[in-house]
Amino acid sequence: MMPMNKNPATRLVSSLLLLTIVLLSGCSTNVTVNGDYPSALTRKQPLHVGLVMDDQFSHYQFESTDDKQLPVTMALGESQVKLFSRVFADMFISTTTYNSPPAKNPALDLLIVPVVEEVQLATPFETKLNVYEVWIKYSLKVLDGNGQPIADWLMSSYGKTQSRFLKSDEEALNQATISALRDAGARLVLEFHRVPEVKRWLASRQADTQLSRSDIP
Amino acid sequence: MRALLFLLVSAILLLLTACGTSTHVDEYRVSETRLPVKASEKIVIMGRRHAGEYETEPDFIDCIGNKLVTGGQVAVMPEQQFLDSLYPWFEPRTAPLGLKRMGGMMRDPLIATRIRKLGIRYMIWVDGNTETTEKNGGFSCGLAPGGGGCFGFASWDKNSNYEAIIWDLSKLDEKGRVKVDSKGSSYLLAIGAPIPFIAQVQGEACEGIGTRLQSFFSSASQSRE
Repeated sequence: MMPMNKNPATRLVSSLLLLTIVLLSGCSTNVTVNGDYPSALTRKQPLHVGLVMDDQFSHYQFESTDDKQLPVTMALGESQVKLFSRVFADMFISTTTYNSPPAKNPALDLLIVPVVEEVQLATPFETKLNVYEVWIKYSLKVLDGNGQPIADWLMSSYGKTQSRFLKSDEEALNQATISALRDAGARLVLEFHRVPEVKRWLASRQADTQLSRSDIP
Repeated sequence: MRALLFLLVSAILLLLTACGTSTHVDEYRVSETRLPVKASEKIVIMGRRHAGEYETEPDFIDCIGNKLVTGGQVAVMPEQQFLDSLYPWFEPRTAPLGLKRMGGMMRDPLIATRIRKLGIRYMIWVDGNTETTEKNGGFSCGLAPGGGGCFGFASWDKNSNYEAIIWDLSKLDEKGRVKVDSKGSSYLLAIGAPIPFIAQVQGEACEGIGTRLQSFFSSASQSRE
């Protein structure tokens, strides 16, 4: 074994550095969002949908860049994949998930590509209460089975820590983010079919179906 | 020495009496007769969370629920279970703020069937929160090789303000309201060790609103008696 021949000054500097790193990591908040999302009470649209959740979406991690705040790292990719998969399975008769956009697939009626545009965070220091507030802005690119764009829907959701007696910052941030994701699910279920371009596409599709039915002698 | 001890005990007693809570409960009933709850029926208590500046605390809703279960012999469905069963129709963004909207939702067979299946007869909406209205004083703590201690005095006032509205989902009408206003001051005296005197403002509000809500309902077993 090689003998350790560091001088006392080097050892002191190394120890101080290690201590600083330990203390700094103790000041930051790191959360892997972990939530369960209920099944949505809604009627399934008679559509075959492809849901594209690429690596950027499924491993999405938010890091606060505000110098005035304590550093916050929030991994919400896995949890948002869970939510989107659940909600889309409840909204449409069939949903297939993809890691990257598939080539033209006439078997699909719609292809939906969600992207996280922005995440904003209000910390207890800013809110002066023991609560976190989370805003998530999604962009949902909606394409038809041939890859032709139908709509680009910007959808934002909001969540807040509800209980003020949580044991840790991590738990409070987790609760606020789950609440924001639930809100995103609510907007998907209740507003997706009301997006003007989607509404028009659905109406024209319905008209086509009725027309083809009337052709049957 | 005795005089000092007497002074200290008197100060503590004074603080203990001062940290009491005053609670005022008001109610409005549509009818004097108690609201019948069959053995198969349940009540759900929900907190209002649509306003940005405050949210009705989930633990306060749990507290009222426990009060109703233990005292009123009625079945109460936990708020989260109801929210999950009817997701996304009662989320902060989507929950009905009035009976008109609730009526519209009940016209949707999907929602009405689920509510009937869960056996929910009454929905109680609780709106309000508990806030700290005033803070005074301060104290500091120190640590030295010989030992440590705190010195100082701090006080704060809390105010709980809640209103509960009872909806009958089978008739889609309002059956009554209970309003509670609870105030109290808490103190922290630090002479060496900190001694807190905490006023249970939210607890008193829960007791006040819960006891009054109990008196609105009569369970199937009570009706038989």
